[in-house]
Amino acid sequence: MQIKPILTAMRHHKAGTILIAFQIALTLAIVCNALFIIQQRVTRVMRPSGVEEANLFAIDNQWADSASVQNVGAQIRADLTALRQLGSVQDAYATNSFPLRGWGWDNYVRLRPDQVHRTSDSAIFFTDDHTLATLGVKLIEGRNFTSSEAHDVSIKTLAAWPEIIISKDLAKKTFPDGHAVGKPLYVNSDASPSVVVGVTDTLQSHMTDSDITPFAYDAVLVPGYLLQGMTRYVIRARPGQLQAAMRDAKRALVTQSRMRIIDPKDGVRTFAQVRAKAYERDYGMAMLMGIVSVVLLAITAAGIVGLTSFWVGQRRKQIGIRRALGATRADILSYFLTENAMIGGCGVIVGILLALGINLWMVMRFEMAHLSGLYVLIAAAILLLLGQGAVLAPALRASRVSPVEATRPA
Amino acid sequence: MLKMTHLSKVYRTEVVETYALRDFNIDVKEGEFVAVTGPSGSGKTTFLTIAGLLETFTGGTYHLDNLDVSNLDDNARSKIRNEKIGFIFQAFNLIPDLNVFDNVEVPLRYRGMKALERKERIMGALDRVGLASRAKHYPAELSGGQQQRVAIARALAGSPRLLLADEPTGNLDTQMARGVMELLEEIHRDGATIVMVTHDPELAARAQRNVHIIDGQVVDLAEDPRFHSAYVAAAGQVRG
Ligand SMILES: Nc1ncnc2c1ncn2[C@@H]1O[C@H](COP(=O)(O)OP(=O)(O)OP(=O)(O)O)[C@@H](O)[C@H]1O
Ligand SMILES: [Mg+2]
Repeated sequence: MQIKPILTAMRHHKAGTILIAFQIALTLAIVCNALFIIQQRVTRVMRPSGVEEANLFAIDNQWADSASVQNVGAQIRADLTALRQLGSVQDAYATNSFPLRGWGWDNYVRLRPDQVHRTSDSAIFFTDDHTLATLGVKLIEGRNFTSSEAHDVSIKTLAAWPEIIISKDLAKKTFPDGHAVGKPLYVNSDASPSVVVGVTDTLQSHMTDSDITPFAYDAVLVPGYLLQGMTRYVIRARPGQLQAAMRDAKRALVTQSRMRIIDPKDGVRTFAQVRAKAYERDYGMAMLMGIVSVVLLAITAAGIVGLTSFWVGQRRKQIGIRRALGATRADILSYFLTENAMIGGCGVIVGILLALGINLWMVMRFEMAHLSGLYVLIAAAILLLLGQGAVLAPALRASRVSPVEATRPA
Repeated sequence: MLKMTHLSKVYRTEVVETYALRDFNIDVKEGEFVAVTGPSGSGKTTFLTIAGLLETFTGGTYHLDNLDVSNLDDNARSKIRNEKIGFIFQAFNLIPDLNVFDNVEVPLRYRGMKALERKERIMGALDRVGLASRAKHYPAELSGGQQQRVAIARALAGSPRLLLADEPTGNLDTQMARGVMELLEEIHRDGATIVMVTHDPELAARAQRNVHIIDGQVVDLAEDPRFHSAYVAAAGQVRG
């Protein structure tokens, strides 16, 4: 109703108007990119590993005598037998790495030995017949390994594994027609292929970096106990006995043999800890973006409150005049709300352009994804609402200016 | 049109109570032109602000256009100010951020008038005060007399029945003051009721009736022996 005269009046306090509009624009541009980054990180963190993580834990077991590592096969088997016999433990297996661990082996997977471009960069997990039960991962095709297939494997004499189990995502990539079982895949040797004997349900790689995202769910399970300085035991506790199992397992291993080192600080970790560590940087980034957003929004709100309060003080006389000429309190309130909405609207429009610009720059510079319009809209809505909220108190104060102010000297 | 009986207005601060008006009685008839005079601090402005519903009063009764206004809420008072009353202030009180046209438009917008009718009325009012050509000027670009004429145009545009003027010529030189006074007389001839506070005995003498306020009360100078000498002096000034 009073847009035109508000616009005219605005020309007389350009500096403040432009300042606030620009602050809103900048805040919008940064906040919607921040929201977008937070959303991306949260999506990453929330994706399922395929593993039943509750009641699961892992022990990093370093063999004390590195010279005799070639002979630890028997000790690993003895350890596993001891662990599986514990009352608090449901199942256990030994491996080089496991989902979300961050570090481990990964190999290129090829369909033909002479293939130049890799089909996948897959995690290689050493396993045995207890692995799927321990992780709580279902087999959706083919068969599990048998206990006799898990041999001792030395890195020095590494040959092609005759049989492998692959994850669902890798199976889809390598055999899109849906029949992976019985097919050959070149995983660690160009000379002889491995044969797929089974396909698991979703199973995440040990790698969580964003640049391996296309391969995040590609995993190859190979049977065997890897003979190297570090052996990792992945153990499933009986429901509700996680703490007891962690204590019992460590004690059982030490009872088996003292020739090992288990770091007292992080040698035994729950899977929740593994997950937290894997996504540490994502949590950190999301938190940082959240803090930046909140701080910027607070500063902008404070700026609006401050400037509007100043304007209300400055315009007491003209508010009084307007009241004397017939403006109701609601008219005055709506004047300031409308003025703020107009400034906010301009700021938001400039901010949207700025946001898209920043995003475009990040897309080119950091290979970030394109900003979804949804985040721009959310941030725009937040800023407009914040603006109206911030202006409310000073605007209410303005609406309470008495019409008698018109008669007082300025 | 405007009738106050036993009206009082008390300003309370933490330390003192000031009776700005006490047992104040006045009856202004429809179509009258009344000049209000009195020493500084006697309560003239207070009377006008209460008459114009800019302020509430402490005791007594006030009927405006036969309506008892003591218990009206803020919105109703705003509506009456907007539709029935026109204000002219000593300090002009134009809005500096708006040009002449937009200034005159302010009360019409609050009335919710359509744009076309607003424009007609604004240009009509500006024409009447002889400032139609200055519609796009800002108040700072006008002389004091011109600014006051814009203020009069603003008061006129809404066709108020009652025009309240607080020392409308106080900030103007004699010639400009005369112009403003002629304008008020013209408006009066067209039927508006006018109450004008003034310090200028010459202007006061041109009104139909003079009301004198002393210490928050209306007094009859000719009757009250206390003020007889003052009255004679003032009358002498007018003649001289
Ligand atoms: N807001 C207020 N608070 C306290 N006292 C006030 C207030 N407004 C006016 N007064 C007092 O009320 C009395 C009347 O003031 P008012 O402004 O009506 O006088 P006036 O006749 O208009 O004077 P002047 O000719 O100087 O304009 C004065 O004593 C003044 O100090
Ligand atoms: Mg006064």
